[in-house]
Amino acid sequence: MQSQEKTFPQLLMRNAALRGDRPALRHKYLGIWQTWTWSDVAEIVRSYAQGLYDRGLRHGDTIAVIGANRPKLYWTMMAAQCLGAIPVPVYADSVADEMIFVLENAGVKMAAVQDQEQVDKVFSIMDRLPDLQWVLYDWGRGLRDYDEPRLLSIDQLIDGGREHLDRDPQTIKQLDDMILSGRGTEISVILYTSGTTGRSKGVMLSAERCIDAACDSVAFDKLNENDQVLAYLPLAWVGDHYMNYAQGLVAGFCMACPESADTVEQDLREIGPTFYFAPPRVFENLLTRVMIRMEDASAPKRWLFHTFIEIARRYGEKILNGQSVPFSGFLLYALGEILIYGPLKNVLGFTRVRVGYTAGEAIGPKLFSFYRSLGINLKQLYGQTEAFLYVTVQPDGEIRADTVGPLAPHVEVKLTESGEVLFKSPGMFVGYFRDAEKTHETMTEDGFVRTGDAGFFEPESGHLKIIDRAKDVGKLTSGALFPPKYVENKLKFFPNIKEAVLFGDGHDFVTCFINIDLTAVGNWAERNNVSYASYQELAGHPDVYAMIAAHVEDTNRILSYEPMMAGAQIKRFLILHKELDADDGELTRTQKVRRGFIAERYAPLITALYDGTQEADITTEVIFEDGRKGAISARVKIVECEIFPLATKEKAA
Amino acid sequence: MMQTYHQIARGDTLLAVDHVSLSFGGVKAITDVSFDIRKGEIRAIIGPNGAGKTSMLNVINGFYHPQKGQITFKGLTRSRMRPSVAASQGIARTFQNVALFKGMSTLDNIMAGRTLKMHRNFFWQCLRHGPAMDEEIKHREFVEDIIDFLEIQAIRKVPVGKLPYGLQKRVELGRALAMEPDLLLLDEPMAGMNLEEKEDMSRFIVDVNQQYGTTIALIEHDMGVVMDLSDRVVVLEYGHKLADGTPDDVKANEDVIKAYLGVAH
Repeated sequence: MQSQEKTFPQLLMRNAALRGDRPALRHKYLGIWQTWTWSDVAEIVRSYAQGLYDRGLRHGDTIAVIGANRPKLYWTMMAAQCLGAIPVPVYADSVADEMIFVLENAGVKMAAVQDQEQVDKVFSIMDRLPDLQWVLYDWGRGLRDYDEPRLLSIDQLIDGGREHLDRDPQTIKQLDDMILSGRGTEISVILYTSGTTGRSKGVMLSAERCIDAACDSVAFDKLNENDQVLAYLPLAWVGDHYMNYAQGLVAGFCMACPESADTVEQDLREIGPTFYFAPPRVFENLLTRVMIRMEDASAPKRWLFHTFIEIARRYGEKILNGQSVPFSGFLLYALGEILIYGPLKNVLGFTRVRVGYTAGEAIGPKLFSFYRSLGINLKQLYGQTEAFLYVTVQPDGEIRADTVGPLAPHVEVKLTESGEVLFKSPGMFVGYFRDAEKTHETMTEDGFVRTGDAGFFEPESGHLKIIDRAKDVGKLTSGALFPPKYVENKLKFFPNIKEAVLFGDGHDFVTCFINIDLTAVGNWAERNNVSYASYQELAGHPDVYAMIAAHVEDTNRILSYEPMMAGAQIKRFLILHKELDADDGELTRTQKVRRGFIAERYAPLITALYDGTQEADITTEVIFEDGRKGAISARVKIVECEIFPLATKEKAA
Repeated sequence: MMQTYHQIARGDTLLAVDHVSLSFGGVKAITDVSFDIRKGEIRAIIGPNGAGKTSMLNVINGFYHPQKGQITFKGLTRSRMRPSVAASQGIARTFQNVALFKGMSTLDNIMAGRTLKMHRNFFWQCLRHGPAMDEEIKHREFVEDIIDFLEIQAIRKVPVGKLPYGLQKRVELGRALAMEPDLLLLDEPMAGMNLEEKEDMSRFIVDVNQQYGTTIALIEHDMGVVMDLSDRVVVLEYGHKLADGTPDDVKANEDVIKAYLGVAH
């Protein structure tokens, strides 16, 4: 599917003309969902664009967008694009130090930010940003007494622009010209990667490629103007920009912005999205919470719940896939839909979900089938910022937990000898902003993009399986393959394990750091009369160690069935005394572990894992939310686990 | 009740406590205490346990009637008054032990703070249409503003009995704010809170003071908080006034140091 309109502002004007009265955007404010139609949005964005123009934003300039999912920030992107300027969304929770890299690298001329917190952050690094001329804010609370000439409210700018347009018909024509003359080959947005492996890079995406990619997936999932999404994922993440912004403008559906980060769950229930996207983590948290609440329910309710969940497990997925089930199964499932599944989906806000996606990390098979068995059409995709999202995607009827699916429409993929996945996609990026060297490294000569991920195609189905980051896949001294993430994901499928970090490349055996999940383990502790005062105390508890050891051994057993992975069984592990945290630099802002950094920071513990001692001391510096520093020291126990011999196929079946 | 008051400018005396004494039988809770609260300031009342701080607040909002002395609020002098009258004159308060309607939602609790501002009679209220509804919508908007201000959107519909203590305190502050008070009395707003909750609460108190221009009198034991937040501090001990002045003055006052730290005998 191809679009006549080559830029997002052109699509916006098309939507305003075609479906002006349809809702385009909703935002819950003062407890009420406020709605803007496509014509409202077009009018506001035009005024805003004029306001930006009057303040000096020009074709090719960059403007940072920092904050949560709020209408005015989305309008900022549209308004900037009207002028041919380039929006640069920035992760709102990044600390000033991280932010400065992006703002400096992008050379932003203006910054549109959400609130006082972000204003303070930007002003604290202002002296290093010579290009920055205006800071625009959405929400004025606490800013009344700021005596800062470069600070403006977005409302002020929109009103100013509107007035100018009303006063001077010449400007209307000028603005129309700017929107119409926008070319698809121009850069539409720069999305900074989360920086799992070092500094983040600015991925430049061109308008026409963005729109082509979005057209493909809109057609693939049959999205239309009657759909509705809740935009709650970070603005700066490709997932939000693609799923909500790009697809929304292409298909003309309505995007709802939550009231605040804390209310997402309630907002989800009220909006009832038809298209839903979340990383596995979100699905996992939801399930954990449902299960914990069921544990606290009365015995008859528990019985009812577990009975029908069991029925769903047996028949639900088959019914969703259109496979045949016995008539009795059909009836029982229908009864379950009335008694359990329907109400549960309603509570979770999934009642109207037609298509749901999960991506970003591997999803546990049990978790995946749980949601599918309830009748939610949850699918997987594999993508990258550089691809403007889809590389592979699972079509209806070909859904599996352990693959990421066959190729998405119009995507080409090839594998290098080392197993690295290379792709060419409709939405693929133009290059890294101000980093020709990196661009050159990433693009092959025949126009493919290196993903850095190692994977293989499953021969019988043609589905792609991703093992790990190519550079993380190592070898033990025995020569056995060591794919850390593959094993870590298996560990993380246990609700009690929140995070795991494997070591083993170049060593004799595999060892592991574990982070327990405070919600799940805390609840377990409560039910088993284990008292604890802190994460650290709970993590060091002997019973917790025993439980985690059992999980690790289960994982080893599963690995022993896979000839390629059997060597990567975990011999020794420890439970870390603190949670890995993005503020301490241990995780990226998208919550992925930074292996190298962790290995450095916890070097004494790794030594202890390999030298056979039973205990090790460690002191780490932590940074609190307000920026102050402190130290945590602890004595951490190390436990050995059973290693299983390679099992034969018969056993596995 | 309609009464006209003098218009009081920022910095002028909003409330004056004049030689007030209060006793319960033979127990003297407050003895001859005088101080004033100026419009727009944050005024702290501190003192060791049993110093008469809460009694003082109870006198100010008309719950206790002092045997001697008088209180002047917005230019009107009084010696006896009921709490409801104090409330309608613009004095709101929170309590040392949270005093919310536990079974009601956050929203309903804060709406309760608007009761005095509702003017439609019982008949219209029952009808739930027409003028009473219009009025309710207007008040709801005000309350939603407070909810937004205190960042408690996520618990709007949750019964307050289910909320953690720190949030209950915040809801209580919200209910007091709903009265649009001229003088807000906070009785140990941070008692029993952890550091993070205290920081949040401090920020809200300062914001209330700056954004709504509300005059605040607060009792608090955390000296760090008191010295940071307040413009002026009055110190009580055994019902007597020990010191009165800016935080720095009070900190340097020898009597205060003696009362708080004790002296070597």
